[in-house]
Parts: sequence; structure tokens; C-alpha cells
Amino acid sequence: MMRPRALRTFHLLDRAWFLQVLLLLTIMSPVEARVPVVAAAADLQFALPEVASAFERTTGKSVRLAFGSSGNFARQIEQGAPFDLFLSADEALVQRLAQAGLTVDDGQIYAHGRLALFVSANSTVAADAELRGLAASLEAGKLHRFALPNPAHAPYGQRAEMLLRKKGLWEALTPHLVLGENAAQAAQFALSGSVDAGISAWSLARAPGLDTKARIVLLPAEDRAPLIQRMVLLKTASRAARRFHAYLLGPEAQAVLQRFGFERPAPL
Amino acid sequence: MTDSCTGLEVSLRQSAPIPLSVELTCGPGEILALVGPSGSGKSTVLRCIAGLHTPAEGRITCNGQTWLDTRARYATPTPERRIGMVFQNYALFPHLSALDNVREALPDRRAAHARDRAACLLSKVNLEGLEHRRPHQLSGGQQQRVAVARALAREPRALLLDEPFSAVDRATREKLYGELAELRRELAMPVILVTHDLEEAVMLADRMTLLSQGSSLQSGPPLSVIRRPDSVLVARLVGQRNLFTGQVLNHRTDWTELRWHSLILKVRRQPDHLPGARVAWCIPPEGVLLNATRAEREHEALIDSLDNPLPARVEKALTLGDRVRLSLKTPEAGEETLAMTLPRHLGDRLELSTGSRLDLRLRGSDIQLMADSTLVSPDP
Amino acid sequence: MNGLPLSERIRVDWNALKLSLLLAASTLGVLLPLGVWLGRLLAWRQFPGKVFVEALLALPLVLPPTVLGFYLLVAMGANSQLGQWYQALAGRQLVFSFDGLLIASLLFNLPFAIQPMQRAFEAIPPEVREAARCCGMSAWRRLWRIELALAWPGILSAAVLTFAHTLGEFGVVLMVGGSIPGETRTLAIALYDRVQAFDTAGAATMSAVLLAIALTAMAVSYMALDRVLRPSRHD
Repeated sequence: MMRPRALRTFHLLDRAWFLQVLLLLTIMSPVEARVPVVAAAADLQFALPEVASAFERTTGKSVRLAFGSSGNFARQIEQGAPFDLFLSADEALVQRLAQAGLTVDDGQIYAHGRLALFVSANSTVAADAELRGLAASLEAGKLHRFALPNPAHAPYGQRAEMLLRKKGLWEALTPHLVLGENAAQAAQFALSGSVDAGISAWSLARAPGLDTKARIVLLPAEDRAPLIQRMVLLKTASRAARRFHAYLLGPEAQAVLQRFGFERPAPL
Repeated sequence: MTDSCTGLEVSLRQSAPIPLSVELTCGPGEILALVGPSGSGKSTVLRCIAGLHTPAEGRITCNGQTWLDTRARYATPTPERRIGMVFQNYALFPHLSALDNVREALPDRRAAHARDRAACLLSKVNLEGLEHRRPHQLSGGQQQRVAVARALAREPRALLLDEPFSAVDRATREKLYGELAELRRELAMPVILVTHDLEEAVMLADRMTLLSQGSSLQSGPPLSVIRRPDSVLVARLVGQRNLFTGQVLNHRTDWTELRWHSLILKVRRQPDHLPGARVAWCIPPEGVLLNATRAEREHEALIDSLDNPLPARVEKALTLGDRVRLSLKTPEAGEETLAMTLPRHLGDRLELSTGSRLDLRLRGSDIQLMADSTLVSPDP
Repeated sequence: MNGLPLSERIRVDWNALKLSLLLAASTLGVLLPLGVWLGRLLAWRQFPGKVFVEALLALPLVLPPTVLGFYLLVAMGANSQLGQWYQALAGRQLVFSFDGLLIASLLFNLPFAIQPMQRAFEAIPPEVREAARCCGMSAWRRLWRIELALAWPGILSAAVLTFAHTLGEFGVVLMVGGSIPGETRTLAIALYDRVQAFDTAGAATMSAVLLAIALTAMAVSYMALDRVLRPSRHD
């Protein structure tokens, strides 16, 4: 039987629509002419933006910053995420990427990170570097929730777990854990008031304006080696990214990092 | 127009989704009523003619142009058929004014005089002054008229009306009948009117086709179909209550002899039925009369030579308005039930009640013989 | 307050908003015509398996966004056919790119775009459409003058809901796009970021913007619905 006219006209519309989509896809992708994107561990949440604006003042070039857990970023990079520079909180991740051939080299250590205990203002937990106050609250049954970066993919979380196990507190803490996606979120939980205490990056505690809300205690380094933070340029890194990378190892950037509680890496 | 004016010729056949087996024709200027109970396929036939539904098999021509020919795998799309259709619920475009509704159907809607033409059509259906109202601001009768104006605006080759009066109250309906009757004088195209109301068909149509379960049973002038049904099925559908069986004895010069139980009736001569054949027969209530009084008998005109006297006994008498409906038993003809009506005053005068005896006569000229006696109860 | 100069903060916000708006507009640009076509088709045709198709199209309504995000990662990732094809074409990955987000957005907005339109087309009485054919109107004129003219509240509703929903989508965007500033960090993601960065003020601003958009969207949508259900009021 003769095809109804309406059906034929809509096949025409159909074809035009596909063309439209194709066109849309090719022109719609925003072409940010190579402003480099930096994937940075969450503990750099406050330090790195300062470094970046200093860099911009000096060189006139800007960078885009993304913060998250290092493990998450490593996974995304393996899946082809278009980052130029990766500042990891854990060297093992950099080594993994280097072995996969995704990086220009094995990377450079840019800082050493430290753990800290965060106790929010309205919490009853006593804050001390040996975690004795924490143990006491646990025993007294006064601890309800404890925040930690997710050990599954956040280096600070992994170190925190190691520390807690060493102190014999891990088993008791497990039912009370609240896992943050990364060091920054864990710190945010810890200071939000709905969590009794937490462990996260010391560099986050040094952010201006935060001290007054809470008690934050630096945890001793000899219990566990500081987090060796290594950064690496990805194969697709642009020239501007390489400049930033170099800047990070320079004196101005290092000064900022130290102000925020990072420790100087071994001399280059 | 270079079309030949032969009107509509329709032939449709399908077994699903709705079974159809229809043949009908409608000449230019003629109103054909398509009558049948709900579900008989009347609307489907109309939709096939309009091109809104394509049957499994069929052929439709209008004024010589082929609109549908399934064997040649050809179907003209609806917009090209130039038909005007009035739907049962009018199907007006709810977001357009009456004027715009009509204007959409004009063949040249963009022309300068289009507005005037549309306004003219609306005034023709007595809707002057209401052109700018939206359908929901119009009454049922007014909406119906807009629908008719819109159908006519198309300058159609055929006008199709799908139960257009069913959704309207009685008073409006009477008015609309009158308007349609007037309008048709100007219409030179075939008009098909679908209705389930026999009276409407009788009032408005020139010819009528009776449909049942998708099959066209009988066509002809409405009164002819009602009074002279072809078959018992048709008789039932047109509401004949007096249905009996009999046997044709022989055909005389002026009448046919019919045996009915122990009686021999003189009926209108219908030689198609062979002597000896068992037939079904019917007689309308108007054909059952009181036997003439001596005074009446003297008026020869009142006596039909084909009158058949019949004594009867009243079983039920029901007064409805100004008439009395009687249900009678025939002791001399197997106690069959006969229906008849009398004017009320006559009923009162005769003081009829259950058990009263009456002398009746059956008008032989009103008796219609039909084949197919199997559906009626057998002879004792 | 947290060491970021004001200019930097505001720049990130505008970027994210611009990205969100671009994503929403692009999604609309594709889904509006698609929705009209599919909505009509589903409203007026019966075909075997139609119920299944409708269920499939409605799936993003009930599916957890992370499930959708996961399947999209599998289908568009570096190891997939689609991902490799795109890599060859554009020289970069489909995931973590705006194009990947657009594809995800098209998929998770299907029910928001199609269902209101389908309902709107279904509400047109079949006889009205048949009457349009009998009036001799061509297919295009029927579409424009009758079908779209009667269904427009549903189409508007679909457009508004799709727009607002795209602006607010989080889970799928995060999984498929990551949070790459200027590329895939939409407003909703940026908000999440600001919370993590202890920037309550920034988060509050962005939340207010998203809330205002959502409220406006619902209001417009309900006004359009009201118009469909009670036409007599508006004359």
C-alpha cells in the first residue's frame, strides 16, 4: 500500500536532525586554548590556589585546578582524563602511571605531607598528639563518629589507617567511621560539628580562618614516615603546564607550601 | 470541474479488525442514510470513504475518480479527496475561532477573499455574529453548525455526516433537521448520513442502506426498506414486531394466498416466492386494524379487497401518550402474539382490558413475505 | 577567607555556570526535535514492543544516576568501541570531555523530554487530527497549526524540565565527566567542590542560583499544565 505522506516527511526530518547533532557535537566542545589543567591531591586545597595566583602574577599565565583524592585522579588519568599535571599525595600512584607509559618521566617530589588530628569545637574529645584523648573517649563510649579520607583511594586515609592500627585503635573505630572522598572532605566532615573527630591532612588545618573553629593537632612524624608527595607531567602536557611544574619546585612556590605546613622535600 | 457526475460508488471488504462487506452507491445531490445498530460498522464505512481507514479490500470511486483500489494498491490521501466530514463530536479545532476553523478548510485559505468566504459560510448556517468565538464558547447546536460550515468550505465532492445530531437535544435537533433539509437543495454532491435513528433516516434521506455487523443488508428508499424488508434480519432491525411463518399456497391474479396456521390470508402479490415454499412474513402495526363497522363497510374505499378478518383477544393494553399499545393473542392462529396500536380515544370507548375480544382485520397489502423462515418459531 | 583572591573565585563560578548553561542548551537543542518526533510516534502509533520501548525511555527516571554513569563509562570509556572511534575523530577521550557529558545528558534527560510531549500529543483528540486531514491540510501545516499549537504546553513543560534537570544533574556528570574546570565542572559539581573547600559563601551563592532556576522551572511548567487543563480560563 502507498506509504502515508506523513511518514515520509518525518524521515526527512529525521535525517536533518542527525546532521544537526553531528554539527552540534563538533562545534560545541568548548575549545579552551590549552589552559593547563592540574589534578591536585585534596590536601593542596588551600595552598595550591595561592601558588597558582602567584604564578599568574609572575608569568601572566593561568592554570586550572582540580582537587580530589589522588587515587581517583590516577584512575581517571588511566582512563584518559585530559590533565596536564598530576600532584599526587602518594608516590606509588605516580609510579603506577609512569609504568603505564602515561607520563613524561618518573616525577619529582614536591613536598612532604603530615597527618593531623581534627576535633571540632563542640566535641568532647581531648586532642593530643598521642591520640590518648581519642582512646579515652572510645573507651568511655563517648565517641560516635570519626572522619577519615577513604583509605580505598586517598593516600591520607591509607596512612591514617596505618597509624590507627599501630595505636591499636582501628578495630574499635571501625563502626564509627565516616569516610570522606578525599582529605578535604574528611577535614570538612571533622570540622562540621556533626562528627566528633577525624584525621586528615595537616596542610588543610593551616588554612587561614579555620583555627578558631576547632582543635587541630599535628601528629608525630616518627610514627609513620611523612607522606611523600610526588608530582608528574603527563605525556599530553602543554608548555604552560611545564612552566608551572618548574615553578612549583622553585623558591616562591615552596615558601607558600611550607607556610601551609608541608615539609620541604629532599634538596633537588 | 471536469469530473463526471456519477456520484459515489463504494465497495468494501475486510475481516478484521471490524468485519465489513458493504456495497453502496450515492448519486449527486442524493442523501443516503447509513443505518444500523452500534457496532454495525457504519462509522468505519464513512472513515473508509474519507480515507481515514484503508480496508483490506475495496474500491471507492467518486465522480469517476478512483479514490481507493486495493487491487491496484492505490489510495488517494485524505487531503486530496476533497471530502467534507462532520464528526460525531464535531472535532472543531479548539484553539481557533469559528471563522478560523472554517477558513482552514478553504481550498485557497490565503486569498484575500478567504475571510469573507468563511464569514459567508457561517452566515449560511445561521451563525452570523459568532465568528470570533472559540468552540468552547458555543453551544452544541452552534458547534455543529460550525462543523457543517467547515465541511462545506472544502467545496467537497462528497459530504459525510457521522451521527451529527446524536449529541444535541431534541429541540435543537428538530431545528437542525430543517436547516439540513433547506441546505440540501443547494448541495449538488452525494451526501452520506450515518445514523442509528430510523426516524431520522425517514425524515432526511432519499435512500437508505441498512448495515448489520459490517454487512450491507438492504438499500432503498427508507420507507420501502422499513415496510418491505428483504429478510427476517432486516425486519428485526427495522423494528417489525409482527413476525410469523407461513406457507405460500399459490399466486392468484391479484393476490397471493398464504397459509397461516389454519387460516388462509390474502396478501399482496409476491410471485418471487414459489408455491409450497415456507416463508416468513411480517405486518406493521399500522396494517392491523379494527374490523370495519357496518357503517364503514359502506364506504368502499375503506375496504381493501385484501383485508383478512381475524378475531383476537387482548392480552396487554398499554396507554402511552395519545395511543394505546395492544398486545393481542390469536386463538384461531396458534395463539401467536400480534401488536397493534389504537388512538387513545378509541381505546377508551371500547373499554379494552385484558381478555376483551376484538374483531381485527389484517391488511394484506401491508403483508411482506420474506425468505428464510428458520429464524421464526416453526409451525405447530 | 581561604586564601583565594576574589577574582579567582568568581571566575570559576562563571565558568561553571556557563558550562552548565551550555550543556543544558545543547541538550535541549537535540532533545526538543527528537522529543517532538518520538512523542508523536508514541502517542499515536501502536507497535509490538511499544510498552517495552516506553519503559526503556522512562528508565533514567528510576535508575540511580551512578548506575547510568557506570554503564556510560563502560560504553564510552577508552576501551570501548565508541571511545576509540571518538579518539580517532577528535584526538582526545570521550569521557571527561564535554561531548561525553552531552551524550550522558541526552540519555538521562530522555524521559523528561519525551514524556510530557507524549502526554500532550495524546491529549489531542484523534478526531481533531482526522478533521485536519479532511480539511485538506498538508502534513506540515497540520503539525504546525494543529498539533504543535495544541501540544505546546507539554513541549514547553518538557523543555523547562529538561533544562532544569540538566543544570542539577550531579552523579552522572561526576562519573562520566569528572570535575575538570572549564570542561566538565558544571555548576552542581562546582558547588560540591566549594563545600569541600570550606567555601560556604560560594556554595551558598551557587545553591541559591540553582534553587531559583529550579523553582522558576517548576512554576513555568505548572502554569503550562494549568493552561492545558483549563483552556476556558485563558480567553
